[in-house]
Formats: sequence, structure tokens, C-alpha cells
Amino acid sequence: MLRKELIGRESESIVVKIKPEEVRRFAEATGVPYNDRVPPTFVGTLLHASIDGVELPIVGMIHGEQKITYSRQLRIGETISYKKRVKDIYDRSGKLGKMTFIVLETIGYDLTGELVFSSSSIIIAQGKEDA
Amino acid sequence: MKSLSDHQVSERLPVRKWIPTPMQIRQYAEASGDFNPIHLDDNYARQAGLGGVIAHGMLSMAQMAAMLTDWIGDEGIISKIDVRFEQMVRPGDTVLCSGFIRARSEKVLVCDLAAFNERDERVLSGLAHITIN
Repeated sequence: MLRKELIGRESESIVVKIKPEEVRRFAEATGVPYNDRVPPTFVGTLLHASIDGVELPIVGMIHGEQKITYSRQLRIGETISYKKRVKDIYDRSGKLGKMTFIVLETIGYDLTGELVFSSSSIIIAQGKEDA
Repeated sequence: MKSLSDHQVSERLPVRKWIPTPMQIRQYAEASGDFNPIHLDDNYARQAGLGGVIAHGMLSMAQMAAMLTDWIGDEGIISKIDVRFEQMVRPGDTVLCSGFIRARSEKVLVCDLAAFNERDERVLSGLAHITIN
């Protein structure tokens, strides 16, 4: 399924514009007023960076943790370049059997190369079918 | 009204109540592009061992962020938000998002976050940094 050799593997850089209509739709879906600000968890929708060998979702996987750090506010209308990377993969045994933890990091820069945000997700896959 | 800079350690933040519905989860799938069937297809979610559909973790996190942004208004930004999804949230659950100020410096408020369902199970815990403008 997911092996340790994947650690360090990166996606291509994806360039996206933070479109007002997408931010509005996100705000409406999450139940917050739409204003000139991008809701902080909007960067969780930047899902288009795919990493070779990491096919998500895996059946039964769940989202364990999420961290998002901004070095400045993300603005509507600006263009961001982001990249995803496999930061870590490790197994743990619990009462439900073997589980695989996948740590994915997404880093976003603006067009001047300034860091805007970094985000890290821990995905937990139940290890019914072995790696 | 009290400004952000006046808040002191151990003060509680205003609670946000959230009751996810199947329609909101569908809307969130469309807005986020996360169409994992564990959020949308009850049979699929049961077969995956989850006992039925669950809300996206990121939708719960968005509620926590909304609690913070409602509170901070234009006076600051969330410079960091870290959460751990501890229990599944299902449509119809009543979730209360809460927090308190754990520490502060002149410009940064460090807040502890927790959300509980109506069975008093903690569904989410976390930490946020609010940077005052």
C-alpha cells in the first residue's frame, strides 16, 4: 500500500488563483460570512497536487490531525504556488490492529517566492491489507 | 467593546454551536473537492467500518476557525491553527466549539481549543495563535 520509500517524494508545483467565487462557496458551505478574508482552513481545498505512488483516498482512511500556519494572510485574488510532500510514513499497532500514518505537508508561496502558509496533515489508514 | 489586546490568560472564548446536516456535508464536499464517499454514502461508510457517514474533519476544523474569526473580527488574524480529530462527527450531532486563552504576549494570544458533542465526548482538540494587528 504505502511504503517508507515514498518519504520525501514531492508533487509538482501547482499554481492557483484564489478565486472569489471559490472562497464564497467555501464560506457558505462552512457557515461563515463571506467578506474580504479567506477562511483559514480554505488552504485545505488545495488538493490538486498529486504525488506519484500516493493514491488517496485509501478505503477506510481517516484524517487524524491538521496543522496550518500562516506567515501572512492569504488574500482573495492572489496567485499561489503550492507543493505537496510526503513528510513521513510510519506504522503503529493499536487495538484495531496495524495502522499506517501518513504525514503530508503542503507549502504555499506567493509569486515573489515569499512563504504564505504551510500545512501538515496526518492521514491514518487501517492496515487490513498489508503493505 | 473590549478589544483583543485587553484579553487575559484563562479567559474563555465565545462558544460556537454547530449541528452538521447531510446537506452541509454535501455542500462542503463540493466546495472543497473532497468527495471521499465516507462523507456522502452511508452504505460505503458502513462497509468501511465507520458505522455510517461522518463529517469531513476539515469541516469541523472550519467551525473551530469560525469560532475564532467571529471572536477576533478585524482585530487580528489566525496565524496558526493545529487540531487533532479525536472522535468522528456525524450529521445531527450537536457540537460545541470552545476555547480559552492559555498564554499571551503583547501581539499574540495562544488559545487552547476543544469541541465536544452532546454525549460530552471530545471530538476535536487543538491550539491556535491569534496575531493581533
